[in-house]
Amino acid sequence: MTRVIIVDDHSIFRTGLRTDLGDAVEVVGEAGDVDAAVRVIDELRPDVVLLDVHLPGGAGGGGAEVVRRSAALLSSVRFLALSVSDSAEDVVGVIRAGARGYITKATSGADVAAAVATVAAGDAVFSPRLAGFVLDAFGTAAGAPAVAATDDELDRLSVREQEVMRLIARGYAYKEVASHLYISIKTVETHVSSVLRKLQLSSRHELTAWALERRLL
Amino acid sequence: MTAPAAEQPLEGVPRVRPVRPTRPARPALVRPREVWLAGVSIALARHLAWPAAVVRAIFAGAAALGLLWAGLAIFLRGEFGILPVAAASPLLYAWFWALVPRETATPDAPLRREVPVALALLVAAGVLALLVPVSWLVTWTPLPVGAVEATAAAVAAIVWTLAVDVRDERRAASAPRVRAVAGGFLVAFGLALLAGGFADSRTLVAIVAVVPVLLGVATFVVPPLLARASVRSAERAALAREEQRSEIAAHLHDSVLQTLAIIQNRAGAGTEIARIARAQERELRDWLFAGTDPFAGDLATELRTIARELELEHAVRIEVVTVGDVGAIESRALAAAAREALANAARHAGGDVTVYAEATPDAVEVFVRDRGPGFDPDAVPDGRLGIRESIVGRMARAGGTGVVASGSDGTEVQLRMPRARLAGATGAGTGTGRTSGTTTGTTGTTGTGGAP
Repeated sequence: MTRVIIVDDHSIFRTGLRTDLGDAVEVVGEAGDVDAAVRVIDELRPDVVLLDVHLPGGAGGGGAEVVRRSAALLSSVRFLALSVSDSAEDVVGVIRAGARGYITKATSGADVAAAVATVAAGDAVFSPRLAGFVLDAFGTAAGAPAVAATDDELDRLSVREQEVMRLIARGYAYKEVASHLYISIKTVETHVSSVLRKLQLSSRHELTAWALERRLL
Repeated sequence: MTAPAAEQPLEGVPRVRPVRPTRPARPALVRPREVWLAGVSIALARHLAWPAAVVRAIFAGAAALGLLWAGLAIFLRGEFGILPVAAASPLLYAWFWALVPRETATPDAPLRREVPVALALLVAAGVLALLVPVSWLVTWTPLPVGAVEATAAAVAAIVWTLAVDVRDERRAASAPRVRAVAGGFLVAFGLALLAGGFADSRTLVAIVAVVPVLLGVATFVVPPLLARASVRSAERAALAREEQRSEIAAHLHDSVLQTLAIIQNRAGAGTEIARIARAQERELRDWLFAGTDPFAGDLATELRTIARELELEHAVRIEVVTVGDVGAIESRALAAAAREALANAARHAGGDVTVYAEATPDAVEVFVRDRGPGFDPDAVPDGRLGIRESIVGRMARAGGTGVVASGSDGTEVQLRMPRARLAGATGAGTGTGRTSGTTTGTTGTTGTGGAP
């Protein structure tokens, strides 16, 4: 069973989420601030960390700092950002630090469990909101100069990736995206992971400028 | 049983009250923002329903008469006691000026004064200064007539540019020049008084002369200092407000928003409690994070407002995602069609609904997706005829397109409006985050995010 650590500074939320997740996953630990989270993650080596974007402690970097300080474990431990925050900067920040997805705290327990399973399998989890952030950040709506010619171009999305992101932003589940585009779910997951990689690795300076501008969305 | 029977007249016969003729209320006594000097005459004229010219003439005539009277009394008989009476008109004007409030209906409208007061004062100072040599030649007094008056007029001109003209956009540009001339005048005038001073009255003249010199020099030194100080204090105040705001935001974020999220989680998407918690969360978050949003009536704000309203009315959770400059789009038809689609989703599907709005260079698109049981758009019963008319028809009439796609896994309404059909959006800029060309320093969590 997937071993999960819940990192959130509100014990009531941790308890609530733990109850919500039920038997779907095994919650092996909890942490309430940056330092405790880094320590517990290093100690317990979970499969997935459910990580609040806003956390006290450490150097003040919140969830992103936890991911950065656990960078050595990123090959085995997956981070899934969980937030009530709609601030694009914070969300994109924790993704760029290495988290493999973002869902809102209002997501139901069953959906969180499904997202945990997806992340544990090595795929990325994009909520409609994150897909919207991505489309905005890569300037696809405002008519980006050109789409990526090859899939490994980091600063632009390919046509297919844009289509996938748009459908996710419109509220389509991966399965629905797949049937809408006449591709397999596996291909959808590949595209999403590729977008995640670009979001994390792109040096596109507009991304930073964009996120800064949106600080108070 | 709504009202006691005794009060009811015959059923079906409405009681008719004679309409009492009322005199229209006088407009409030307030000074408008576009005025000649202070707005007193216009204010009185509007209040009394007189022509403004009449009020102006009364003030000016009374002032001129008073001046004449006082001049005759002083020069012919050496009487000064008459001055307060003779100055009644200016005093009354000043009294009105001080006590009549400025109109507040449009507090941001610029102030405009027709009379260039500072310039007039400066000219008066020059004229009065010319009296000085005349006065010397004629009366040979130690303190010539005009010296104090010219100084006072020049100082008044400077004070006016500093205190009044800065708020008048037409005069603000020329104010520094007027001030510089006035300052230069004071320095030159004071030096001239010093140079022309006489042995027996040296002290008195020196004192009178030094004052303008000092004032003149101060003219060049003080305004920049004042400006800098006021900018700094404004910055400090803004910073303090911002700090307090983010402190409150952080606190509420940590406590209330979290709790609301938990409540929604525990209650499930479609329940009444989740609905209330969700609506509260929206409201609070709007206040916390979008309180400074300058736009209103744009598509993004409109969609969020609609979502909020529907979440209050129905057991539904609506997520609004916008991409591109949706915040700069104004389209009544698009917003109305989206509202219809959302209301439909909230009523018939409930649960989770996603709204996705994207503004591209060619068109603005809105997608409303629900997870309801779906229906066949081509075989809608009478009750749901509204969809066709209010969504598809409305979009078509406005020059766009509306498509309703429904299946077993939900319904999606797709709205599209070409840019060309957006009224007043021709000059809309590029997307919000498209500041290309400038490399911003990497600060905050985003910029420092490196490769894993």
